[in-house]
Amino acid sequence: MNARAAVGFEPAVEAIGLRKHFGPIHAVDGIDLAFTPGRIYGLLGPNGSGKTTLIRLLAGLARPSGGEARILGLTMPDRPTLGKVGYMPQAEALYPDLSVGENIGFFAALQGVRGSAAIDRSLDLVELGSRKGAPVLELSGGMRRRLSLAVTLVHEPPVLFLDEPTVGVDPALRVQFWGHFRKLADAGTTILVASHVMDEADRCDELVFVRAGRVIARGTGADLRSTAGTDNLETAFLRFAGLDDAGRPLDAGRGPDPEAAP
Amino acid sequence: MNPRRVAAVARRIAEGFRRDRRSLALLVVAPLVIVALLGWVLRDQKSTVVDLAVVNEAGAIGSRITDALTTATANAPNGVSLVETDESEAVARDRIRNGQIDLALVLPSTLLSDVAAGHQPTLTVITAGTDPAAEGGAFASLQSVLGTVASTIAPPGSAPIIPKIEHQTVYLSPDADQVDVLAPVFLGLFAYFFVFILTGISFLRERVGGTLERLLATPVTRAEIVLGYAIGFSVFATLQVLILLGYVLGRIDVPTIGPVGAFTIGLGVQSAGNPAIAFLVALLMAVGAVNLGIYLSTFARTELQVLQFIPIVIVPQGLLGGIFWPIDRLPDILQAIAHVLPVTYAVDALREVMLKGGDLGSSAVQTDLLVLAGIAVLFVLLGAFTIKREVA
Ligand SMILES: Nc1ncnc2c1ncn2[C@@H]1O[C@H](COP(=O)(O)OP(=O)(O)O)[C@@H](O)[C@H]1O
Ligand SMILES: [Mg+2]
Repeated sequence: MNARAAVGFEPAVEAIGLRKHFGPIHAVDGIDLAFTPGRIYGLLGPNGSGKTTLIRLLAGLARPSGGEARILGLTMPDRPTLGKVGYMPQAEALYPDLSVGENIGFFAALQGVRGSAAIDRSLDLVELGSRKGAPVLELSGGMRRRLSLAVTLVHEPPVLFLDEPTVGVDPALRVQFWGHFRKLADAGTTILVASHVMDEADRCDELVFVRAGRVIARGTGADLRSTAGTDNLETAFLRFAGLDDAGRPLDAGRGPDPEAAP
Repeated sequence: MNPRRVAAVARRIAEGFRRDRRSLALLVVAPLVIVALLGWVLRDQKSTVVDLAVVNEAGAIGSRITDALTTATANAPNGVSLVETDESEAVARDRIRNGQIDLALVLPSTLLSDVAAGHQPTLTVITAGTDPAAEGGAFASLQSVLGTVASTIAPPGSAPIIPKIEHQTVYLSPDADQVDVLAPVFLGLFAYFFVFILTGISFLRERVGGTLERLLATPVTRAEIVLGYAIGFSVFATLQVLILLGYVLGRIDVPTIGPVGAFTIGLGVQSAGNPAIAFLVALLMAVGAVNLGIYLSTFARTELQVLQFIPIVIVPQGLLGGIFWPIDRLPDILQAIAHVLPVTYAVDALREVMLKGGDLGSSAVQTDLLVLAGIAVLFVLLGAFTIKREVA
């Protein structure tokens, strides 16, 4: 299937036969994707399924063992293009002894953001505006996650890669986050959210199920559910993975058709 | 006190070492290497012959003394060898300055008249003044040779006349001590040492904490990171060197206040040179050290492992860099190693500048600065290359 023809747009993010091997481990094992601008994609899969590696490849932070990653039509790694990308790593990735303001100010400067308006807007969004002077060392885990998101958004990039962004964030703020992601998407931002939990999946426009470095299914939540014949996304995932409802392997060939129609 | 829990803690440490074989190896190997190196350096130092020149202003009696000296120092039995006679004290001083001779003995024109008048004659011995310990040894050797000479030229039956010896130096003053010559050259090592450790740990944290990844996910280039690191750390290296330089060169005598006795702050070291050049040397060292720190931090997984580079990177430079003993006295293999260590050039430059008053016009200082700049560039490339490798 030609993704470009299907969506009729130049994809914002593209993976073409993308692979990454760490010795015997095939962390990403031949993935093809094309993301339409202005949509939210959910990258779902268990721990170790290759989500982080895939995002790092897409963001040009790792060199593929094979295939190609493209952002806005440019082959990654490509430094200048990174000005149009926001990457929220799964790790904390903040300077613990610097303050909230100093952390975000540093990355804003690297992204060429001038003045403090964008910084304040970004901090207000994650409700850390009042903690600007606090050292990161004194923040709770959830607050650090929020700061990490603020840092990622500060230069208002058209492409966002968020690796497990809501881990440790309380439910009320989570709802707010998703509201904001939706606003960004409506304004044309392409967003990829990786998660190993399914409870936020329905907020995405499209889901990509990965397992052992391969895409095992993709489509809207509704499509995936109906293809798998279940109301529960988790069960759907297990069926696409060829596992029974308790996570045990089924007999070969009994999984549903992985090429769910978009 | 529960022995099981104590044992659990102890076992945890042992397991840590089992996982971190390198720390374990270093625990054993590092002290062995250092002690072996020290033994090698101290035991196999080349015994050096002190090259002596005589300046004869005393005419015929001086020639007799010179001849007796030539005989007495044939084959350098006391480690002193008479290599030449110079026509004037000025020439001899130049020869010392250029490193062609170590000692000059001046036989004064008043020698004969002093002896005739029954006065004890005074001879002048000139040394460089930049290595009080070694020069003290040479001085003592010469004194014993002069004792021999005095008895050979004394007329039979009369007691030999033992001359008084006045010590003069080309650089600094004859009463300069080890501190005067050691303190300035430590500047180079300190800047190197601290900047290396601090950068190594900072960069390790950058990588382990994930901020390096976040950095690399922005348009920032490797060159920008390396340069920024170098400038950032150099500011603090600058501060360190300035304070140290002030302490080494300055001296404030604090009078007795109440119960606190009088004391002095600062070493008040004798110095001939321009501290600005010393500062430049320290700065070049710091830039090199930043990038070496970045480079070597990739070979460490923990801060402990960064500290383990001290016995590998820092200690040999301290032993071989010419701080404590001249490089030309090291065994040949160690000399070869010394010549690729940045500290060697920093020490030489600092000595030229601070002890001998050399400035940017001195070819020795120019060479040292060029080599240091070259090493700094090499390390910058290494550092930049290291960051590139992060995108693996
Ligand atoms: N730098 C690395 N070196 C070796 N193996 C790696 C590295 N990064 C990831 N892996 C391996 O690749 C697989 C996928 O990891 P990852 O992409 O982090 O999964 P996820 O984000 O879905 O939990 C895992 O088996 C992991 O151990
Ligand atoms: Mg992950």
